[in-house]
Amino acid sequence: MNPLVLFHLAALLLLGLGLYGITSRRSLVGMLIAVELMLNGAGLAMVASARLTPAADELGQLGALLVMGLAAAEATLVLAIILVVAKRWGTSDSATISSLRG
Amino acid sequence: MEQLAATIAYGLYLALIVAGGLAAVRCRNLVRALIGLIMTLFGVAGMYFLMAAPFLALMQILIYVGAVSVLIFFAIMLTRTSGGEAGNENPQRRTGLREVLAVASGLLPAVILAAIVVGQAPQALPLKPEVPLAGLGQFLTGPYVLAFELISVVLVVAMAGAVLLGFERRKGQ
Repeated sequence: MNPLVLFHLAALLLLGLGLYGITSRRSLVGMLIAVELMLNGAGLAMVASARLTPAADELGQLGALLVMGLAAAEATLVLAIILVVAKRWGTSDSATISSLRG
Repeated sequence: MEQLAATIAYGLYLALIVAGGLAAVRCRNLVRALIGLIMTLFGVAGMYFLMAAPFLALMQILIYVGAVSVLIFFAIMLTRTSGGEAGNENPQRRTGLREVLAVASGLLPAVILAAIVVGQAPQALPLKPEVPLAGLGQFLTGPYVLAFELISVVLVVAMAGAVLLGFERRKGQ
């Protein structure tokens, strides 16, 4: 099979696993792990598209690098949000914090 | 010979990604899930090496394995779920219907996109020669300079926001 297709299928596998994780996980930290999986899949697809087609190489590689930077920023913010939620509700369960009761 | 080695390496990295990814989304214990995520990250780094992008592979190990996974570990250790112990997910409400729906929501977009990828794939070129690091740097300060500056701003704002959110406000001040 075409190597481009193989790398894209690996990236899609990561996307599927991440989507499954984010819907089935009960805790916010588990959801964060699933989001990281999906971001990795995105980076892999971008680099594969840049390396194996006539597109400019730097475009895909630096794009993936920017995705990594954004993932780091997002993980920091989500960590702070999880801490605030855990302090206020005593748990980081997604079901508990979706209630509107005071 | 080279082709065979590349195929074997691809299979190895794919196995790492699959095993790690399954552990990351299935393990009840969040620390084990994090170990699975780290395995997946190493698998993706291996795929970058396979595509002759060593700079990106090393950045993947440095940023993801070095920084992001430590942040997630902090998040696991500083919170506790209603099950009681830190790092264990609440085992209740994992019903069959919920699992089926979760599998469907993950599988459906992936399968549709996979069908498009397999059907519409252009002819892959043989691997281009490796981009030198200087070329990447020149591109980053040339056409990508706005993105380069903006990501610094985003990082600063995210860090400042995180500090602000985590700040304890004392009573009476």
